Amino acid sequence: MSGSERTRAALLGCVLAAAANAAVAPQAPQAPAAAATPAPATQLERTIALRQPSVVKVFGASGLQTIRPYCAGVVVSAQGHILTLDQILLQPERTRVVLHDGSVHQATLLPPEPQLGVRLLQIDAAKVEGGLQPLWPERERFDRTGQFVVALGNCFRLAEFEEANSATFGVVVGRANTALRHRLADVAYDGDLILTDAAINPGQEGGGLFSLDGRWLGLNMKSLAAKETNTLLSAAIPVADLLPYLERVVRGQQAPEPVAVAKEPAWLGVVLFDKAGRQSPPAYVERVVAGSPAAALGLRADDLIVRLDDFSIRTCREYRDVLARFAAGAKVQLVWKRGQQVQQAQVTLGKEPAK
Amino acid sequence: MSARRHAAAVARAALAVAAAAVVAAPVVRAQDPLAAVRADEARRVALVARCAPAVCAVMAMDEPGGGSGVVFDARGYVLTNYHVVGEPDPKWQPPQPPALPDTDLQAFRAQHPAADDAAVAAFTARWQDEWRREHAPRGRRHYRNKKVGLPDGELYEAVVLGIDPGSDLAVLRLLPKHAGQTWPHRPLGDSDAVRAGQPALAMGNPFVLATDFAPTVTFGVVSGVHRYQEGQGNRMLVYPDCIQVDAPVNPGNSGGPLFDERGDVIGINGRIAVGDRGRVNVGVGFAIASNQIRNFLGDLMAGRHAEHGTLDLSAWRAGQDRQQADPTLRGVYVQQIFKDAVAAAAGIGLGDELVRCDGLALRSPNELARQIGVLPAGAWVELAWRPRASEGFGALREAAVRLAALDTGSSRDGGGDDARLASADERRRARDAWLAQWPARDEPADAMVTWRVVAPEGFVVRALRHGERLRRDRGGFDWTDLGDARVDNGDGSDGSGFASDGNSPTMRDLTADERESLRRERACNPLLWPSTTVRARLAEALLLGGVHVLGAPALRFALPGDGGCEAWFFLDGTPAGCAFRDPVRKARVEWHVRGSAVRVVFDGKAQAGWRDSQRDVTAAEPALFGRPQ
Repeated sequence: MSGSERTRAALLGCVLAAAANAAVAPQAPQAPAAAATPAPATQLERTIALRQPSVVKVFGASGLQTIRPYCAGVVVSAQGHILTLDQILLQPERTRVVLHDGSVHQATLLPPEPQLGVRLLQIDAAKVEGGLQPLWPERERFDRTGQFVVALGNCFRLAEFEEANSATFGVVVGRANTALRHRLADVAYDGDLILTDAAINPGQEGGGLFSLDGRWLGLNMKSLAAKETNTLLSAAIPVADLLPYLERVVRGQQAPEPVAVAKEPAWLGVVLFDKAGRQSPPAYVERVVAGSPAAALGLRADDLIVRLDDFSIRTCREYRDVLARFAAGAKVQLVWKRGQQVQQAQVTLGKEPAK
Repeated sequence: MSARRHAAAVARAALAVAAAAVVAAPVVRAQDPLAAVRADEARRVALVARCAPAVCAVMAMDEPGGGSGVVFDARGYVLTNYHVVGEPDPKWQPPQPPALPDTDLQAFRAQHPAADDAAVAAFTARWQDEWRREHAPRGRRHYRNKKVGLPDGELYEAVVLGIDPGSDLAVLRLLPKHAGQTWPHRPLGDSDAVRAGQPALAMGNPFVLATDFAPTVTFGVVSGVHRYQEGQGNRMLVYPDCIQVDAPVNPGNSGGPLFDERGDVIGINGRIAVGDRGRVNVGVGFAIASNQIRNFLGDLMAGRHAEHGTLDLSAWRAGQDRQQADPTLRGVYVQQIFKDAVAAAAGIGLGDELVRCDGLALRSPNELARQIGVLPAGAWVELAWRPRASEGFGALREAAVRLAALDTGSSRDGGGDDARLASADERRRARDAWLAQWPARDEPADAMVTWRVVAPEGFVVRALRHGERLRRDRGGFDWTDLGDARVDNGDGSDGSGFASDGNSPTMRDLTADERESLRRERACNPLLWPSTTVRARLAEALLLGGVHVLGAPALRFALPGDGGCEAWFFLDGTPAGCAFRDPVRKARVEWHVRGSAVRVVFDGKAQAGWRDSQRDVTAAEPALFGRPQ
C-alpha cells in the first residue's frame, strides 16, 4: 500500500485542481431529496454524486457467521437489471435491493454466470419512482496503471436506506491474472483483474469502480487476501469483459462470435500421475506418448512439469488449465524438473492424434 | 510497484518540463499540466504547515499510551475524545487554597492595626473560602490533569474541563507557562458543507509515534457524510452524524482533527471500522462532525457533563432486516416507546408514522436517530406524525417536544445545573474566550432598542429600552415602564416606574413583582442591549453552559443577582434569548429567539403561537418614556 499511497499523495493535485476542468465533465446530478446537500465542487465530487444513483445496496440472506448479508450492485438496464458478484447471500425470496432514494425492492435472481463469478438480479422497474439510471460497459477496457479511480459500494453496511454508498479513492496499481491462483482466491473470472489501492472493504463488492471522469471501469471484487503476509489487495473485474454476458442476458443478444479461427486443443503428449481427490497432485509425468512433442523433447516418467510459458504449474489441474489456453501449433517454453535439476526447452505443441 | 514506477516517471517528466520551462516562453509553463500538480502540492504542504501547530498529543500524567487533540481557541482550549481522557480519578480532591499572600495580610493589618490573631485567622479563613469559591469545581468526579505535547516541542499540563460521553468528546484547557500565553489554533469548520469526495487531512499521533509531538499527517477523501454509527465498545459511544474518511486513521489518532482544504476542523477522528484482521486501518475512519461538536461546546467549556437528548422511542421502517419489502410502507414507524417518553406525552404512540422532524421529511430510522443524536438534552424539536388508526393512519399532527436526557450509563454525577461545573475562574476564562471571538459591534450605547414579538392572541408585545429605561406594552396598552432610579427624569416619575392598565389614562405605581420582573428582563435580555454594551454587561457573568435555540447552538451566561438570570448568545455573539424567574408569571420564563422565530417556554412548557420577532435600533425618542401627560 505504501508505495501507491505516496503516488496518490503526489498526484492528487490533478484530481482536486487540474482535473476539475477535465474535458469529459459529467452532468451535475439531479437534486437529491434531502434538503441541504452541498453542491459538488471538484471533478471527483461530481463523479461520486453522478454515479451514486447507479450503485445500489443489496441485502440478502445471512446464516453462517462468515457470510455478510450485504453487498452492492450496479444498475445495468432501465428494466431493472442489476449486476453484482455471485455470492451465497443472494438467495431467492431473500434478496432486496435498496436504491439511492431509499426505496426497497424485492429482487428476482437470474442464473449465475459461473465463468465470470457475477450474477444479474432484476427488480420491478415499474415500481421505481423517477426511473433507474443504468450504466453500460464500454466495449474496450481502458484502465491504465496510475489512473485515478473511485470505488462506490456499501462498505460495512454503513448505508441502510437513503444513505449514500461509501466512496473510496485511489489509483489503478496494475493488472493481475488470477488464473495462477485458481481456487486459491475466491475468483471465478480468469482474465486480468484491475488492481487498485482504493480501499474496497466488505460490502463494497459488486459496486462500481469508476474513472475520475465517471466512466465505468470495473465491478468491485472481494479483496484478494494473502494469508502469508496478512495483506489485502483491492481488485475489480473489468466490465468490458462482462459485456458479452450482459448483451446476451440483458439485451437478449447473442455474444459476438470470436473472430479467431477455430482453435484446436494443444497436445504435449504426457500422461500425468493424477488421482482423483480434492487436492490435485503435483504435475509428475507418469508416461510419455511415443511420437508426441514431449517425446521429441526427451521428457520421461517422473519429470515434474513446473512451468509453461508465463504460467507456473503446481498441480495436474493447473497443467490442464494452462494447456487449454494454447492452440495446437503454439510455441511455448516448457520448464521441468528432473531430480534436483531444472531443465527447459521450447516446444511446438501438437494436435492429439485421433484414437 | 508499478504505481511507484509510474510516480517516478511522472517525477522525471516534471523535471524535464521544468527544465524546458526555464528557456521556453512563460506560455509554455502555463500549459504545463504538472504545474497544477506542483501548485497543489505546494498548497497542501502549506496547509499542513498551517494546521500542524494546533495538533497536540494528549497523554495521561503517568500512564503509557495516549491520543490526539486539537487547539481550537487561542486561549488554549483543546478538543479531544472522551475515550482519550479515560476515567475520573477516584482519589480526586478539591484544590486546597494556598497560604494567605503577604500583600493581603499587610493590607489587612494596615486597615486594622488593632487586629488580634483571631481576627487575622478569621480574615485568612474568609480569604481561603473566597479562593475555594473561585477555584474549586462543582461535582465530585473529576479528572487528573493531562499532559499535552504540542509540535513546538513543549509539554503542557492541561485541565480536563468538560466531558461529553454521549458523543465521545472532551474539552481540555492548557495551563499557560507565562501570563497571557496564546497558542496556535484552528477554528471549527462547517461540517454540513462537507461533500463526499472532497480532500481531507487527518492529523494526530497514531501509535504514539511522535516523541517530539510533531503530528502524523494522513491524506484521503471524504467517503461519506452524515453516517450514523450506533454505540460500540463497553461505553457504547454513539457517533450519530459522523464523517467517513478513507485517510488512514489508526489507534492514537483518537481525538485528533480532520481538516478540510481550508484548514478548518471539520471533525474529530474517533473511530474506525475494521475488517477481519483486527484493529488496523482499512480506509474507513469516522470523525465526529464539527457542527455536532458546536452543539455541546457551551456545556463542555463550562465544565459540564454534557447530556444528549432522546425521544425515548425507537423507529422502524418496512424493508429493514428480513421484513418483506412492501413499497406501500415507506414510512418510518414507532417501534418501541417508553410510557413516560417525552414523545408519548406529546401524544405519539406505538405504530404511529413519524413524518417530519424539524421540517425534514424522514426517510429512515437512521435519519431520525441522526437528527436527535446530535442534539443536547433540553433541545426542542418539531415533530409531525400520523397516529395509527384502525384503517391506515389519521390526520397529520404536529407538536414541539423537549428532548429528555439520554442515560449514557457513564460517570454522571446527577441531574441539574450544579452536578458538574468548572470553577468560577474557569467559567470566567471561558466567557472571555468567547467574548474575544465575537466580532466588534456598532450599535451605540445610547441608542434605543425596540423589540417586538407577536403574541398568540395576535397583538404585538413591545419592549423599548434606552439606557436603563425599559418600557413594555401590549398592543399599545397595558404599559409598564421601569424608571431609572439613578436619573431625575424631570417628568413626574419618581424613578421607580409606573404602569397603566388597559386603555386607562390613570397611571399607577408598579407593583413590587412588576418592578422586579422588568428589572430581571432588563438585566438579562440581550435583545434589548445595544451591541456595544454586551461586553460591559457580561463583565460579571460566568459561562453556565450551552442551550439549543431554534436549531442553533447558543451559550448561557449566568448574571449575578437573584432570579436565575441568564443571557443567551449564539456562538457568533448574536443574541439568542434569555431566561429568568418571572415574579409576575410566577414561572421560569425562557425566550428563545433566532431571526424572526420565537419560542416562549414557561416552566419547561412551550407556549404555542408566539412569532415574528423584530428588533430595531434607532435614535432615542425620550418622549416614549415617562408618564404620558
